[in-house]
Amino acid sequence: MDKRYFEVEQLIHLYNHIEVLNIPSLSFDKGKIYALVGPNGAGKTTLMLILSLLLKPTSGRVIYRGKEIMMENSKEMRGRITILFQDPALFNTSVQDNLEYGLKIQKKGSNERHKRAEECLEMVGLKGFNERRARELSSGEAQRVAIGRALAIRPEIFLLDEPTANVDEVNTKILEEIIQNLSKDQETTVIFSTHNHNQAFRLADEIITLMEGKIVPFTPENIFRGKSIRDGGDTWFDTGRIKVFIPTKGEAKAIYIDPRDILVSLTPLSSSARNCFEGNIEGVRANGDSVKLLVDAGEHLRVLITKKSFFEMGLNIGMRVYLTFKSSAVQVF
Amino acid sequence: MHFIAEGFKTALTLIFTFNRDVFDIVLFTLKVSFWGTFLSTLFGVPIGFLIAIKEFTGKAIIQTVLNALMALPTVVVGLTVYAFISRQGPLGEWGLLFTPSAVIIGQWILATPLICALTISATRSVDAKIGLTALTLGANIMQESIAILKEARFALLAAIIAGFGRVIAEVGAAMMLGGNIRGYTRTMTTAIALETSKGEFGFGLALGFILMAIALGINFIFTYFQRRK
Repeated sequence: MDKRYFEVEQLIHLYNHIEVLNIPSLSFDKGKIYALVGPNGAGKTTLMLILSLLLKPTSGRVIYRGKEIMMENSKEMRGRITILFQDPALFNTSVQDNLEYGLKIQKKGSNERHKRAEECLEMVGLKGFNERRARELSSGEAQRVAIGRALAIRPEIFLLDEPTANVDEVNTKILEEIIQNLSKDQETTVIFSTHNHNQAFRLADEIITLMEGKIVPFTPENIFRGKSIRDGGDTWFDTGRIKVFIPTKGEAKAIYIDPRDILVSLTPLSSSARNCFEGNIEGVRANGDSVKLLVDAGEHLRVLITKKSFFEMGLNIGMRVYLTFKSSAVQVF
Repeated sequence: MHFIAEGFKTALTLIFTFNRDVFDIVLFTLKVSFWGTFLSTLFGVPIGFLIAIKEFTGKAIIQTVLNALMALPTVVVGLTVYAFISRQGPLGEWGLLFTPSAVIIGQWILATPLICALTISATRSVDAKIGLTALTLGANIMQESIAILKEARFALLAAIIAGFGRVIAEVGAAMMLGGNIRGYTRTMTTAIALETSKGEFGFGLALGFILMAIALGINFIFTYFQRRK
């Protein structure tokens, strides 16, 4: 397997003399899924456009299999790297013609075009849509046709700019499945941007966080990776350091506990909550009317409590406390 | 009233007996209008497309001039071309004056700004992502341009039809440049003007009916494509 076959180096992009992107180095492996997260204006779309060779960076290099891609020789790379926009445009023709567009550019014969179009329609769950007018489809269907059209050219790197931002829940699920299958079955490198951290965690092998054009370490609160373990009728999630009782019986790759759902006490609570951990307070930070505690309970857990509770309990750094939360407070990915 | 009724009767007789003189004029008119529109399309569409997609200094001025030229009086076109192709003009030795080619040149100049301006708006009405999408699917610049033009096809067809409508109905340039020579450069509009002045009201009316039918037909097609865009 080719490792690090797509990367950027010393990437800087200015817009109206203002730096909107500054990435010293970033690399992508073959067949992996990457999620690009960050607030609006963080530079996600700019980075996507540069990676898809549609935008020339002010300075820096885009490298594929060790060879720099220049705008001059980017033509041969087009077709290997493709991008799906948030609100993709379909050509005002039939679904079939849309699917065959890239293949016609590649001068594929009509039999192959037809075969691939069929395959891709099936892949996106729209079998039998061949003769439908593209403009008459729902936004979710249109999104799926656009994905099918991009898949038809069998890209090695597939970029998706907020692919599920404008589609309903049912289509979101289908799109997520497509993304996962792409990486698994075809070893396509998938890079997608999203505002949905939950989605990023569920789908991606790696999460890249952009803030004001720079890559920052992703430090989400109370998100832990690990694996689920069945024990009789119960299911636990093992992070490697702690075991958390979770509500689902299915497979889990990661869990999230909302800092507001964790109760803090000085003695163990007798309650119906299944998760109780003992730990040391390592950090205290005022947060408006609340106080955020960092507690080392095997894993570092963040807890949000009211200022009133904080003072009533007389909490401070170094104190031993008990953290309790219900299994239903644990979100599973 | 009798005069009008007689005119109607003669006109209908000429049409339904397929009068040779009437239909020769109609065929000639269709022929020169086709070539005039064809040349205008050949120039107007690519120029309009480039103006729409490229950013350059003076773009706004060019568009204003084009819009003004859309309403260019036909006699002014006739006058200008006449100045160039008349015996004393710079192109006088080519012997174009009072030939079908002269009529086509006049019509070409008349329709080009119209087709050009309508191509600009047709191209602009295409979703900007269409070109980008074509690029992401491996298209080169030429293929990207074709994808955009294809997307604007109904509006472009409407632009061409509008150009044809403009040239087939004009009289000034055809009269001044063609000279209204019977069986050679006589178009429907120049024939109507002449025959009516000669008192052949029925003949003029017959051509008028056919011209109206063509104009209506063009408008129906134009509206159809406008709606489809």
